[in-house]
Amino acid sequence: MERSKQLMAQIRESGVHPHPKWRFVLVKMLRTAGFVLCVMSGAAAFSIVLFAVQQTDFDLLGHMGHSRMEAILALLPLLWIVVSVLAVLVAMYGIRYSERGYKFTLARQFGYSAVLSILLGTLGFISGGARVLEHTFDTELSLYESIQEKKVRLWMAPEEGRLAGRIVGVDKEVLNLQDFEGNSWKVHIHGAFVAPIVELEPGEEVKVFGNKSGSAEFLATDIRPWQGFGHPLHHANGR
Amino acid sequence: MLVASVLCKELSDAEILQKSLEDLDYFSCIFERYERQLMRYILRLARMPEQEAQDILQDAFIKIWKNLHAMDPRMKISSWIFRIVHNETISWLRKRNAFGRGALLSWEEKYDDMEMPSFAEEERAGLKEQKVMDLLNDLPFAHREILVLRFLEELSYEEISDVLRIPEGTVATRINRAKKGFARLATEQGIQFEL
Repeated sequence: MERSKQLMAQIRESGVHPHPKWRFVLVKMLRTAGFVLCVMSGAAAFSIVLFAVQQTDFDLLGHMGHSRMEAILALLPLLWIVVSVLAVLVAMYGIRYSERGYKFTLARQFGYSAVLSILLGTLGFISGGARVLEHTFDTELSLYESIQEKKVRLWMAPEEGRLAGRIVGVDKEVLNLQDFEGNSWKVHIHGAFVAPIVELEPGEEVKVFGNKSGSAEFLATDIRPWQGFGHPLHHANGR
Repeated sequence: MLVASVLCKELSDAEILQKSLEDLDYFSCIFERYERQLMRYILRLARMPEQEAQDILQDAFIKIWKNLHAMDPRMKISSWIFRIVHNETISWLRKRNAFGRGALLSWEEKYDDMEMPSFAEEERAGLKEQKVMDLLNDLPFAHREILVLRFLEELSYEEISDVLRIPEGTVATRINRAKKGFARLATEQGIQFEL
């Protein structure tokens, strides 16, 4: 009894009052908003990862002069993978320190965060949102190298047997190709594998494996559509 | 004027806290209800003078008073109170940099004025209380706290989960490890259990 009197006296003397309820409600709302933001960021990043994988020419792996590991690292959208992982980790932290989040094991925290981001990211990719988002980053951030820019950079390597551009003319077994840097090439296609979807018509954008045979000549071994299989749209300058 | 204990006994924890918001004196009911148990808990977690344990308890209850509206209705109020007291004790230990080091008081001095705790399992096993407490004090803090909560305070896994803010599965794992650590320490010190 004595100690409880001391406690009451201490509370009264110090003028301590319970913190208002709205303060805790606000903190809870901010935490929830933070979690949602992390999940959405993870989803956005994941959708761009899917977009990047869709755009990636994995057949480059066999044709690049670098080691396989270097080739894979060059092709992977590392920035977006890192952003996805970071977003999931921060979301997990948000779950862990929520009201009841401590009840979940680490695996469940990861599961909830990752699954939400993956599901929403996949929806974003399917709806075409990833392409729009990635293009926005490309136009708004000068330092950002877009997936398409990366792709063009990888393919504009005639010395290494890779060439890409727009067909400007077709003459029997010779394509007149203007690459994405504006240079003109004569591409000899005799004996080359031409992907079924490629029509070899003026205006079509293609990527070519082969060997450089002159300052502006190229012997093709393999011709594929620029946007990969299943892409009916071929935009100018590889974008 | 404090509330008469007869009135306090009729009220549940939730009712007491609700009434406290209207009349501060009701808050003394919750303090008196848990004081003994919580003092015992603090002293089991760390050896310290009783006055310091009282200070920790007072600070914890002031914190409880300040954060009344933060109470999660899905949690038992006793678990919430335990959690705050637990955290205050940890903060004290960190400040004093005294995790498991040195005894400030002997167990006899501490327990002179307090009712001896009941040790359900240990009594059945025939262990001497003194040896148990000494062994507990030699354990790493993480093992000590979980054994105290489970076997001395007799909290359920769910309650321990709420106090320590860890999943129930982790509670089970830690109890298992702590028991093994306790048994190993007992063997090293040549202490035999009587079952």
